[in-house]
Amino acid sequence: MSVLHVVFKVDGAEYALPAADVLQMESFTGATPVPGAPRHVAGLVQVRGRVIPVVDARVRFGLSPGERNLDSRVVVGQLGDRVVGLLVDSAREVLKLDPAQVKPPPPLVVEQARGFVKAVAQVGPRLVMLIDFPRVIGEEAPDGDGQR
Amino acid sequence: MATDNGNGMASLEDARNLAEGATRNVQESAGLVQAVEALATRLASTGNEQAAASEQVRAAMESVAAHVEETGLGVHELVRSQRTVADSARGLQQEAEATAGALQEVNASVSGVRKDAAHLAASSDATAATLEQVTRSVKGVSANAEDLAASSEELLASMTEMNATVADLVSRNQSSAAATEEVAATSEEMAKGIVRLSADSQSVGERVSQVSNAVVNIGRVLGEVARDAASMASGVEQTASTTEELARSVRGVAEHARTLETHAASTASTVEEVAASVEEVAATSEKNAAVVDANAATIEQLARSAQAVARAAESINTLAAGSATASAQLESSTRRVAQMTEEARAAAERVGTTAREGGATVGRSIAGFGRIRQSIVESSGVMKEMGKRAEEIGDIVQTINLIADRTNLLSLNASIEAARAGEHGRGFAVVAEEIRALADRAAAASADVAKIVRGLQTTAREAATATGEGVRAADEGAALATDAERALSTILKGVEDLGQNVREVSRASGEQVQAVQALAQATAKVSEQGRVITISATEQAQAAQSLAQSGNEMRRMARQTTQATAEQARALRDAVRSNGQLAEVAQKVSRAMQEQAVASADLAKGTTHMRQLVQGVSGAVAAQSKDVAAVGTLSQDAAAATQRTLLGLAEQAKAATEVTRAMEETRKQVAQSARGMAEQARALKQGEVASRQVAKLAAEVTRATDEQAQALTALVKGADEVRRVAKATSRALDEQTEALASLTGSATRQASGVAAVARASAEATTVTEGLARSVEEMRARAREVTTATAQQVRASTATAAEVREVAGRLAQLTRLQGEQAESLSRLSGALGGARNTEAGAARSREQQA
Repeated sequence: MSVLHVVFKVDGAEYALPAADVLQMESFTGATPVPGAPRHVAGLVQVRGRVIPVVDARVRFGLSPGERNLDSRVVVGQLGDRVVGLLVDSAREVLKLDPAQVKPPPPLVVEQARGFVKAVAQVGPRLVMLIDFPRVIGEEAPDGDGQR
Repeated sequence: MATDNGNGMASLEDARNLAEGATRNVQESAGLVQAVEALATRLASTGNEQAAASEQVRAAMESVAAHVEETGLGVHELVRSQRTVADSARGLQQEAEATAGALQEVNASVSGVRKDAAHLAASSDATAATLEQVTRSVKGVSANAEDLAASSEELLASMTEMNATVADLVSRNQSSAAATEEVAATSEEMAKGIVRLSADSQSVGERVSQVSNAVVNIGRVLGEVARDAASMASGVEQTASTTEELARSVRGVAEHARTLETHAASTASTVEEVAASVEEVAATSEKNAAVVDANAATIEQLARSAQAVARAAESINTLAAGSATASAQLESSTRRVAQMTEEARAAAERVGTTAREGGATVGRSIAGFGRIRQSIVESSGVMKEMGKRAEEIGDIVQTINLIADRTNLLSLNASIEAARAGEHGRGFAVVAEEIRALADRAAAASADVAKIVRGLQTTAREAATATGEGVRAADEGAALATDAERALSTILKGVEDLGQNVREVSRASGEQVQAVQALAQATAKVSEQGRVITISATEQAQAAQSLAQSGNEMRRMARQTTQATAEQARALRDAVRSNGQLAEVAQKVSRAMQEQAVASADLAKGTTHMRQLVQGVSGAVAAQSKDVAAVGTLSQDAAAATQRTLLGLAEQAKAATEVTRAMEETRKQVAQSARGMAEQARALKQGEVASRQVAKLAAEVTRATDEQAQALTALVKGADEVRRVAKATSRALDEQTEALASLTGSATRQASGVAAVARASAEATTVTEGLARSVEEMRARAREVTTATAQQVRASTATAAEVREVAGRLAQLTRLQGEQAESLSRLSGALGGARNTEAGAARSREQQA
C-alpha cells in the first residue's frame, strides 16, 4: 500500500517525509532567535497558537544559510508529543510512494549524511531522499546536539 | 705805356746824341792838339836821336852783312832738308794709297752691314707698325690729352713768362726814372764845365799860332834829310821783299807739312773714330740681338698668351652655346610650367565647385541629423512609458504569484488533512490535489508573465540606453557635419586662395616666359659675340705667330749684323794699325819741315830786323819832314777847331738844358708807365692762376689717359726698343759710312797734301836760289846806306834845338785840351749811365712788382 509523503527541497535536492509525521505546512515569515540555542535552530515561531522551535535544514545539512523568500516553508512535524518545525527552501507537492519504490541508500551516502537519509525513492526520472526526521531534528543524537 | 716809355727814351736819346756830338768834337780837337804835341816832341827827340840813330843804322848794316852770310849757310841746309822731305813724301803717298784701299774694303763691308741693318730696321718697323696699329686708338686719345696738357702748360708758361716780362718792365721803368734824374744832374754839371772849357780854348788858340811859325822853319831843314833817307830805304826794301818771299815760301812748305800732319792725325782720329763707331755698332748689334731675343721671347709669350686667349674664347663660345641651349630648354620648361599652371587653375576651380556642392550636401545632412535626434527623443519617451506599465504589470503578477503560492500551501495542508481523515477524506484529497494543480498552473503562468515583463523592462531599459546613444550619435553626427561644413568652407576659401595664387603664378609664369625669351635672345647674342671673340682671338693668335716668326727673322738678321760688324771691327783695327804707321811717317816729314821752317824763320827774322832798321830810319826821316809840315797846318786847324769848339760848346749848353727838360718829362712818363705796368702785372697774375688751374685739369686728364695708354705703351715699348735699337744701328752705320767717307776724303786730301808738299818743296828750292842772289845785292846796298847815314847825323843835331821850343808850348796846349776832354767824357759817361740806369731801373721795378 502506498504512503503519502510531503516532498520538499533543500539546496536543489528533493527530500520526502511521510505525511503522517507532518501536522501542517506554514509560510516562513521569520523566527524569533533563541539565545544560547544551537546554531542549526533558526528560532521560535507561532503555529496555530503554539510556540515551536524551527530547525534550519540547510545549516543542519552543513550548507550555508539560504535566502528566505516567498517559497520558504516550515514543515511542522509531530515527534512523539513534541512539535518541531523544519525550515526548508520550498515544499510544493505531496507524493504517494510505493514501498517498492523505496530503497536503502548506498553505505557511502549514509556515512556522509550522518544517517539523515534513511532511503532513496525513484520517482520517474527524479530521486527523492527519505529523511530520518528524528535524527534531523536531533532527538537521537547521543552527544545531545539538540539540547544544547 | 710803351709810347710813354718811347717818348722818354727818345728825348733821352736826343740829349745823349747832343752830348756825344760835343764829346766827339772835343776829343777830335784834343786828338789834334795831342798829335801836334807828340810830333813836336818827336821832332825834338828825333833831332837828338838822329845822330845816334844814324850810328845805329851803320852798325845795323854791318850786322846785316853778317846775317847775310848766315843766310847763305841756312839756304844750303834748307836744300838738303827739302830733298829728305821729297823722299818722305813719296813713302807717305804709298802708305796713303794702301790706306785708301783698306778703307774701300771697310766701306764695302759697312755697306753690307748697313743693308742688313736696314733690312732689320724695316722688319722692326713692320713689327712696330703691327703693334702700333693695336695701340693707335689709345695713343690717339693719350696724344689728344697730352696736347691739351702741353697747350695748357704752354699757356701757363707763356703767362708766367709774360708776367715775368711785365714785372721786369715795371722795375726797369722805375730804375729808369732814377737814372733819368741822375742824367739831369750830370747834364747841368756838364753845361758848367763847357763854359770853363771855352775860356781855356781861346788862350790855346793864341799859343798855337805862335808855334805854327816856328815849325815852318824846321820843315825846310828836314826836307833834305828826307831825300837821303828815301834812297836808302828803297835799297833795303828790295832786300826785305826778297827775304820775305823766301820766308813765305818756307812757311808755305811748313804749312803744307803741318796740314799733312794734321790730315794724318785727323785721318788717324777719323779711323779711330770709325773703329770706335764700329765697336759701338758691334756693341749696339749685340744689345740689339739681346733686345731682339728678348722681344722674340716676349712675342712668343704673346703668341702663347694669344693662343691661351683663343682657347679661352673657344671655351667661352662653348659655354655660351651651352647656356643658349640651356636657356632654350629653360624657355620650353617655363612654357610647360605656364601650361601646367593653367591646368592647375582649372583644377582648382573644379575643386572649388565640388567643395561648394559638398557644403550644400553637408548642410542637408545637418538638418537630417536634427530630425533624427528629435525622433529618437520621442521614441525614448514612449519607451519610458512602456517601462512604467511593465512595472505595474510586474506588481500585478507578484500579487497573482503570492495568491498562487498561498493556494498551493492551502492545497498541501488540505491534502495532509485529507490523508489524516482516511477514507472520509478521499474526495477532499482529490479536490485539494486539483486546487494545488490550478495553483501551480497559476503560479507557472504568473512566473511566465513576470519573466515576459522582466524581458520587456530590460528591453525598455536597453531602448532608453540606445536612445541616449542615438541622441549622442545624432549630436556627434551634427557636430561632425558642422565640422565638415566648416572644413568645407575652409577648403572653399583655400581653393579660392589657391585659384588666386594659381592665377598669380600663371601671370608670373607668363612674365617668366617673356623674361626667359629675352634671356634666350641675350644668350644667343652672347654666343654670337663669343664666336666673334673667338674669331678675333684666333686672328690675334695668328698675328702673334707671324710676329714670332718675324721676331725669329729679326733674331737671325741681328746675329748676321753682329757677325759682319765684328769682321768690320777687325778690318778697321788693321786700318788703324796701318794708319798709325802712316801718321808716324807724316810726323817724320813734319819734324823735318819744322826744322826747315825754323831755319827759314831765323833767316826771315834777320831780314826783318834789317828791314825794320832801314824802315825806321826812312820812316823817321819822312815822318819828321811830313809831321813838321803837318804841325803848321794843324796849328792853323787847331785855331779853327778851337773856334768850332766854342760854337759847339754853346750848342752843347743849349742841348744840355733841353736834355734836362726832356729828362723831367721822361721821368713823369716813366712813373705813369710804372703804374700801368703794375696793373698789367696784377691782371697777368690772375691769368696765370687761371691758366694753372687749366693746366692742372689738363694734367689730370693727361694722367688718366696716360694710365690708360700705359698698359698698351708697355706692349709697344718692346717694339719701340727693337725699332730704336735698329734705328740706332742704322744711324751708327750711317755715321760709320759718313766717317768712312770723310776718312776716304781725308785720305784723298792727304794724298793731295803730299803732292802739294812735293810741289812746294820744289818751289822752295827755286826760291832759295833767288834768295842767295838777293843776299849778294843786299850786301852792296848796305855799304851805301852806311855812308849816307853819317851825313844825316850832322843835319839832325841842328834841327833838335828849334823843335824843343815848339814842344814847350804844345805841352801847355795839351794840358788845357786834356781838361776839356775830361769834362766831356764825364758828361758822356753820365749820359751813358743814364741810359744804363734806364735799363737797370726796369729790373728793380720788376722786383718791386
